Amino acid sequence: MLDLASVLGDVRRGMIPAHVYADPEIFAAERDRLFARSWVFVAHESEIPDPGDYVVRRVLADSFIVARDETGVVRVMFNMCLHRGMQVCRAEMGNASHFRCPYHAWTYRNDGRLAGLPFHEEAYGGEDGFARAGQSLLPAPSMDIHNGLIFISLDPGAATLRDYLGDFAFYLDFYTRQSQAGVELRGPQRWRVKANWKIGAENFAGDSYHTPHTHASVVDIGLFREPKASKRIQGALYQAGPGAGTTYKLPPAGNKHSGFADQLRYVGYPDAMIPAMAAAWSDRQRALVAESGFMPSAATLFPNLSFVHNWPQIDAAGTVAPFISVRQWQPVSERETEVLSWFAVDAAAPEDFKRKSYQAYLMCFGISGMFEQDDVENWVSITDMAAGSMARRLTLNSRMGLTSEGKPLKPPLASFAGPGVAYQGFGEYGQRHWLGLWSDCLAEDAR
Amino acid sequence: MSAGRPLPYGDPDHLAAHQFLVEEAALLDAADYTGWLDLLCEDIRYVMPVRVTTARGAGFDSLADMGHFDEDMYALRKRVERLATDHAWTEDPPSRTRHFVTNVRTFREASGELQVQSGLLLFRSRGDTREADLISAGRTDLLHATPDGLRLARREITVDESVLRTQNLAVFL
Repeated sequence: MLDLASVLGDVRRGMIPAHVYADPEIFAAERDRLFARSWVFVAHESEIPDPGDYVVRRVLADSFIVARDETGVVRVMFNMCLHRGMQVCRAEMGNASHFRCPYHAWTYRNDGRLAGLPFHEEAYGGEDGFARAGQSLLPAPSMDIHNGLIFISLDPGAATLRDYLGDFAFYLDFYTRQSQAGVELRGPQRWRVKANWKIGAENFAGDSYHTPHTHASVVDIGLFREPKASKRIQGALYQAGPGAGTTYKLPPAGNKHSGFADQLRYVGYPDAMIPAMAAAWSDRQRALVAESGFMPSAATLFPNLSFVHNWPQIDAAGTVAPFISVRQWQPVSERETEVLSWFAVDAAAPEDFKRKSYQAYLMCFGISGMFEQDDVENWVSITDMAAGSMARRLTLNSRMGLTSEGKPLKPPLASFAGPGVAYQGFGEYGQRHWLGLWSDCLAEDAR
Repeated sequence: MSAGRPLPYGDPDHLAAHQFLVEEAALLDAADYTGWLDLLCEDIRYVMPVRVTTARGAGFDSLADMGHFDEDMYALRKRVERLATDHAWTEDPPSRTRHFVTNVRTFREASGELQVQSGLLLFRSRGDTREADLISAGRTDLLHATPDGLRLARREITVDESVLRTQNLAVFL
């Protein structure tokens, strides 16, 4: 029998009962208390640019059609026919004015409204027996969009997405708003891994400590110059609102005036993109890069959406190209996760840059990525070990960066331009922040 | 897709193409990746588009702008270099793989090059507790005749799942 209060107590002091990574009772609590109310990403607007475009995405077991209707409005609808419960859309993407259930041909407009059903008059006696007016596929209880990122919540009373994002919205812009044009997402690559969904989310929230060892091979082969321990320990780890992330410390910039552009050039952005980035970001966002000298790398937005920004070498001539990936850890069970990994790029970027950035992404992340390959090996192994009896006797130490009294080993960075709190060096600050949010959700009543 | 009929099974070009694929599979199963790179043209294109589930009549069932692989020789060399380091954890201990190559059809292009279509079933086993993975795919290859024998100039891998059930592609198809 699960003693949830005891588990959460341990987690809040940075000691994680190992079984939480393979426990069906914990998974049920996550479904009923966390995914039943959190904002969960489903798609980006660039995936459905035209009227009628749709993609089908899930939140755990619930399938939703994310469509742009004939008037251009984004709709998110539960993919279950009102009549007998058949999936009305069994493709994962396409363009359609209507969705027709294969079972009895009930037909819905792409905004969800019921358009018609066969033999309405003969079978139901018309409107008297079954009133069509107002009938619609169930809309997602809450839906909201930020920087083109479409989120839903199964809680009809969810706070607005902007309120939820809070201080993390500042960091989200580095990944999803590099110009006024926003980003375009390509993909996703989808694959299933025998790993608990929390491990990837925690890893991206702040694990700069794994990089030098897990990813030693990419340094060995000269693919990416940064992930050495000597570099990673200089990075800042920030926690802000519902998110947390890692950064790399950039080399000292030339001077105050050229600093911002110098830093972006260092990670491979072409001069053609830099003015638009300067215009899209606030003084404070520019200062994070220029004066503080930190470039955002991995991050996680609670619960299960992560981001990564790296800048590998993509050819033998030494060309450095940055890339962005947006990725979701979609829980399948306590022991299995579907990874959805998108390549994201500034929609207004030159085509040549988009091509190079795509190459950089494929070499590093996604199912074939040379970083991601070794990450997933770790996560599968943890999940496998967490499923046994002995894991119930082990609490994993997630207190890096804390003294025995629970105080930070060193003070937060005073010269960090971003909101929230940031520490320089290694420490599991971001993971504890994420686990604190997880604990808050699991401490609430089930919905 | 190539127009025209496949070469008869007794055609020497078909036999050579088929043997090329079987020898290549033997190198991959032996993890002789340096030997495998020697079979590739310097200007190789090695692509594996993401397959998607779409309605019949949608006109596409793969993504034009996103692959699981989209490689040139530099990228493939880096992958092979990485696997040769002491730190490629995901393949240490290594997977046990078997590349089953079947349904081989060879077409002679107008240019004289050979286009070869084949079915591939990759069996991949890791460790002693995990279920083994299977990846089923079709492949369309372009082979160049060189003084050293046939070489792979282009490979397009048409994977048969939209959601892959293997932890990563630290293997070649």
